[in-house]
Amino acid sequence: MSAERYNRQIILKGFGEEAQQKLLRAKVLVIGVGGLGCPALQYLAAAGIGHIGIVDDDTISLSNLHRQILFTTADIGKLKVEVAAKRLQEMNTQIGIIRHPIRLQKNNILDILSRYDYILDGTDNFESRYLINDACALLNKPLIFAAVSGFEGQLAIFNTPDHLTPSTNYRDIFPIPPTKGEIPNCSENGIIGVLPGVLGTMAAAEIIKLIAEIGQPLTNKILSYNLLTQEQYTINLSQGHGYTLPKTVDEFLNMDYQNTSEGPQGYIEIDATELVKLQQLDSTILIDVRERHEVPVLDKQIFTQVPMSEFGAFMSKEFYQKHVVLICQHGIRSVAAAEAMQEKYGDAKKIYSLKGGIIKWRDHFLKS
Amino acid sequence: MEIEIISFGQITEFINNQKIEVNGIADTNSFKQYLEDRFPALKGIKYKLALNKNIVQQNTEITNQATIAIMPPFSGG
Repeated sequence: MSAERYNRQIILKGFGEEAQQKLLRAKVLVIGVGGLGCPALQYLAAAGIGHIGIVDDDTISLSNLHRQILFTTADIGKLKVEVAAKRLQEMNTQIGIIRHPIRLQKNNILDILSRYDYILDGTDNFESRYLINDACALLNKPLIFAAVSGFEGQLAIFNTPDHLTPSTNYRDIFPIPPTKGEIPNCSENGIIGVLPGVLGTMAAAEIIKLIAEIGQPLTNKILSYNLLTQEQYTINLSQGHGYTLPKTVDEFLNMDYQNTSEGPQGYIEIDATELVKLQQLDSTILIDVRERHEVPVLDKQIFTQVPMSEFGAFMSKEFYQKHVVLICQHGIRSVAAAEAMQEKYGDAKKIYSLKGGIIKWRDHFLKS
Repeated sequence: MEIEIISFGQITEFINNQKIEVNGIADTNSFKQYLEDRFPALKGIKYKLALNKNIVQQNTEITNQATIAIMPPFSGG
């Protein structure tokens, strides 16, 4: 180890040579090389974590670049894991970078996780987050959880007991995954690039604190961060009850992580041609469930505006139309709205959701 | 009785941070019912309550000047 490379943190009071050695011996796995994973990886590599594994099966696209700061314009189309590993290795030649250009699934996750001491979840969907949570709980691996939405973020450390509380996991907060469309994602809702930068960096800080055994890591706590106000709010966690957490490998392999939506589907997903047919019926109401600030703006004479945030109130009122067509930007929130309507009206009304949303059928909406 | 509400994520779109005056709400179960009646949009999404910064895992008594946080799950990365 070159002491000079890490000199500025080694001379830090309360850190020192011993802490640096702990970092060098540590094995950290970063899952997801996205807005959270990129900044976390940069600081973990620079700080001298001896073995860093990187998992992602995705390639770099132009819309990644505003937040995924390991990549350049010339990297578009390349595998994220390859580009990230090369950059990190150039940054720090003294550490080992292990590439995992795969998608984690039930049949490979336990094997990969078991090779590491600390796991950082920087993925972007609930299927992966519940899969990783359950696998970490089963293997008793410390899990650093970071997630963002809009201008806010969440950060927590799971599966790590402290002197007050036995270890907690994500299901102690949210026992059941949300249904599809219930919670907006980044591609649907948007994300300011610097936000995952802040959360990813905070996650790297928590990993370094855990390994070096300094400070008070967010063990058994969840921190909420608001970029617009710079406010933080920390909630103490405790164990919940009455949820399903696989206790054995067999139970784990029998879990269903693919499909987070519940219940039978009674609504119908339609394309633009079917939309035109329905539009001609008097008994059809077309509902745009996007929030009021979203673009493109549709003709309000044709499309009734009922944002998801007002949907509950709308459903408490009666309306005569028998056919209800729900529309949103990508066809994700409209599915959530369709599920809610199906649950309330059952067979009394016919519920439709425009598959792919306004973006997919842009030409149709621009001409109408 | 005065309760301070703190909300996060998409819940802030229909429940602002505010102090409310309530009567006849003694515990977190009845508070949850009150919230879902007053803000029906809450019924459609997963969320967790924290009472005075401690996560609510079972019905817990609420006292005057309590702070209740309402937190949805985030998945973005």
